[in-house]
Amino acid sequence: MSSAILVVGGGFAGLTAAIEAAELGHDVYIVEKTPFLGGRVAQLNKYFPKLCPPSCGLEIQFQRIRNNPRIKFFTLAEVTALSGSKGNYTVQVTLQPRHTAAHAVDLGFFASGLEGEAVNDFDFGLSTRKPLYKSAPFAFPSRYVLDPKSLTAADKAKAASCKFINLNEEARTIELQVGSIVVATGWKPYDVTNLSNLGAGTVKNCITNMQMERLASPYGPTAGKIVRPSDHVPPRRVCFVQCAGSRDQNHLNYCSYICCMASIKQCFYVAEALPDAHCDIFYIDLRAPGRYIKTLDKARASGKVSFIKGKVANVEQIEGDRVRVQAEDAVRGEKLTLDYDLVVLATGMQPSLSQENCPLPLPLDEEGFVMGGEEAGIFAAGCAVMPLDVTRSAQTGTAAALKAVQTVEGR
Amino acid sequence: MAKVTLTPDSGFARELMDAGGDSLKKCYQCATCSVACPMAPANNPYPRKEMVWASWGQKDKLMADPDIWLCHNCGNCAELCPRGAKPADVMAACRNVVYKNLVQPSKVGEWMSSPKGLPMLFLIPAILWLVIWAIRAAIVGAWFPRTEDGRIVFGQIFYGDYTIDPIFMITFFGAVYLLYKGCSKLWNSFKNGDGKLVVIGPTKPWYYHLLMLLWEEVGSHKKFDTCTAGPKTGQPENNRKFGHMCMIIGFVSLMIVTAIVAGGHWVGKVVPVLSIETPMPLTFPVKLLANFGAVVLLVGLVVLTIRRKRQNPKFFASNYQDWYLLGVIWLVALTGCLSQLFRLADAVHCAYLVYYLHLVFVWMLFAYLPWSKLGHLAYRTCALLFVRMYGRG
Repeated sequence: MSSAILVVGGGFAGLTAAIEAAELGHDVYIVEKTPFLGGRVAQLNKYFPKLCPPSCGLEIQFQRIRNNPRIKFFTLAEVTALSGSKGNYTVQVTLQPRHTAAHAVDLGFFASGLEGEAVNDFDFGLSTRKPLYKSAPFAFPSRYVLDPKSLTAADKAKAASCKFINLNEEARTIELQVGSIVVATGWKPYDVTNLSNLGAGTVKNCITNMQMERLASPYGPTAGKIVRPSDHVPPRRVCFVQCAGSRDQNHLNYCSYICCMASIKQCFYVAEALPDAHCDIFYIDLRAPGRYIKTLDKARASGKVSFIKGKVANVEQIEGDRVRVQAEDAVRGEKLTLDYDLVVLATGMQPSLSQENCPLPLPLDEEGFVMGGEEAGIFAAGCAVMPLDVTRSAQTGTAAALKAVQTVEGR
Repeated sequence: MAKVTLTPDSGFARELMDAGGDSLKKCYQCATCSVACPMAPANNPYPRKEMVWASWGQKDKLMADPDIWLCHNCGNCAELCPRGAKPADVMAACRNVVYKNLVQPSKVGEWMSSPKGLPMLFLIPAILWLVIWAIRAAIVGAWFPRTEDGRIVFGQIFYGDYTIDPIFMITFFGAVYLLYKGCSKLWNSFKNGDGKLVVIGPTKPWYYHLLMLLWEEVGSHKKFDTCTAGPKTGQPENNRKFGHMCMIIGFVSLMIVTAIVAGGHWVGKVVPVLSIETPMPLTFPVKLLANFGAVVLLVGLVVLTIRRKRQNPKFFASNYQDWYLLGVIWLVALTGCLSQLFRLADAVHCAYLVYYLHLVFVWMLFAYLPWSKLGHLAYRTCALLFVRMYGRG
C-alpha cells in the first residue's frame, strides 16, 4: 500500500494537481515526457484569463515545486509499464538521458560554440536550435539538455572534453510505488498536413495558431516581432482561419473550445505590434465562454478586427508569397477571394493520447479523450479530458488531486 | 433590415430527405461547400443557401432556383463537408423532386420516385406490347414466326408501319411535348422566382448561348473538368467525363440509326432507292454504327456503374432515381444486344421474348423521360440557358 501519487504530465493541469496534493501532505511524483516542465503554456506568448506571459504563472508553480520536498519530478520520462491495482500500483518509468550535470550549470556560452543545428520543435519548426539547449529562459528545471543526434563530429570532441556533459549516459528504468494516478497528458496541435484544402502545411506564410504564439513570444524565433516567416516583413493584412480541423468529422469531430479566443488574443498581439495591420477572422460560430465575451466585445470595438461568418475552405500560395484565401460570407451570400500577407490556421487541440500506445489502462473515447477510469484510482485532468483553457485546466487539476488524495488517504 | 417571416415546411424537407437528401439536417451552415464548388459563382453561390432552404423546407425557393441545375454533382462539397451533410446529394434530391412534380400526370412522378411504383411502370408497356404481340400472332398465325426462307425477322410480329413506328412516334413526341411544358414552367419560375431579373448592357441572342452551352456541356464535356478543379480535397479524383461521354455517344449513335432506319423505311415507300430493309446485314454502314453505339453504350454503363459502386458512402449515396436510370439503360442495352445475338444464333423463342422486353424497356425509357433523371437533358439545358442569358454561370 502506498499513499504516494503519480502525476503523468508536467503541464499546467499536472503541475497544479501535483502541487495541491503535495501541499496536502502527500508524496507526489511528476513524470514529464519533454526535458522541461510547463507544457503548452510555456510555448504561449500570453495566456488567458489575464493575458499574462507564461513565465508569470509558471514561475509561481515552479517555486512551489522547488520549495516542496514532497514533490519529485522526472523529465524526459515516460511511464512504460503499470502493474498492481488501486492503492497499490507499481509504475515503471523510463528516463531518457539528459547528458548534462545534475545541477544547474550555465552552459549557454558552451552551447553557442557548437556547430550543429536542429529543427526547434518548441518553436514548431520556425527556428533552429543548438544541440545543447534550454527551451525558454525561465525553463524549469534550469538545466541544459543535450541532443547527441544533432552534434557534429567536432561538437562531439568538444562535448567529450566538457566536464558537465556526459555523452555516455544511457536510458534507465526506475520503479515507483503509488496509490493513485493523475493523468494530465494534455494535447497536441492538430496535424495541419491533414488539411489538404488549407494548404496541408506547404503554403508559405500560412502558419498555425501555436506558431503565431511563438512568433509573438519575446523568446521566440523573432524575439517577439510579428513578421512573415518567409521574408521577415511585418504583415499588413492578417487572416485567421477558425475551425482548422475542428468541428469536422474528417478531422477532429468536436469544438476545441478556446481557438476563437486564441485568435482574438492574437489579433491583439497584431494590433499592439503593428498599428497599421488589419485582421480578418473567418468563423462558423464564435465561442466566447463566460466572461471572455468582454474580450470579444473589445475586439469588435477596436476597429482592427473584422469578423466574417463563413469557413475558409481553400488556401493557396500566390506570387509574392502572399496567401489567397477563399470563403463564403454566409451572411451576405458572397464568395470572397482575398489575399493576405499572413494566414493563421486556428488548429484544434488533439488529445496527446490519440493514436498513441498508452501503458495506462485508460478508457478513451474515439477521439482519444479519457473517459472514466476513476474506479481504478486513475483520474484525468486538463486537456486529456476535453479541450480547455488554462483556468479550467488548473481547476480540473485541483479536482483530480482531491480525488487522488481521497483514494490514498489513510493508507 | 427588413423583417422576413419564414414558414418552415417540414413536409417538404421530409420529401427531400426521401428523395436522396437524408443527410440535409446535419448541415450547420459553415459555407465550406460554396467554396468547395468550383462552379458556384461569387455572387450568391450554391449549395450553402440551398442547404438552409432545404432544412427549412422552402419549396418555392428551391423549385425556382436555377442553381440546383448548375451543380454537376462532382461531390467536392461532400468530400470537404465537415458534417457529412452531403450537399451534392441534397442538390440531386432537389432535382429529383423537380422531376417528380414538374409535369402532369404527377401520378407518374410518384411512381418514378420509389421502387413501389416499379411494377406499375413495367406493367403498362408490358401489357401494351403483349396485346400487340397477341394480335399480330393471330394475324400471322404463330407467336414465334419465321420467314419463308427460315430467318427470324422481328418485323413479322412487331410490324413497323402499324405497331412500332406509330407507338414510338406518339411516345417520343409526347415526351418531347411534356419536356417542353416542363421547361417553360421552369423558365417562368426562374424568371419570377426571387424578384425581377434585368440584364444591363449588350446581350447575345439566346441561340448563341444555346450553341455555346451545347458545346461546353455536351460536345466537349468541359464542365466535367471544371468540376474537379476545386480545392484539394485529399480524396481520389472523381471525374465522370469518360463514362458520361460514352453514354451520350452511344445514345446519339443509336438515335441516328433509328432515324435513318425509320426515314429509310418511310421515305423508301416513295423513293424506292432509299429504302432500307431490316434486319440489315452486319457489314452495312448503318448496322456498323448501330453496333458501335451499342458497344460504346455498354462501356459507358460499365464505367458509370462501377463508379457508383465504388463511391465512398461517407461522402456519396446513390439515390433511387440514379439506379432507376442506370438500370433501365442497362436493360435496354442488354436486351438490344441479346435480341440481335439470339436472332443470329437462331434461338427463335429467346429472340422474340428478349426483343419484346427490349421494346418494353425502350418504351419505359422514353415514355417516362419527363419524370426521370434523364429529363435533365432538357431541364438542365433550360436552366443553364437561363443563367447564361442572365449572366450567371
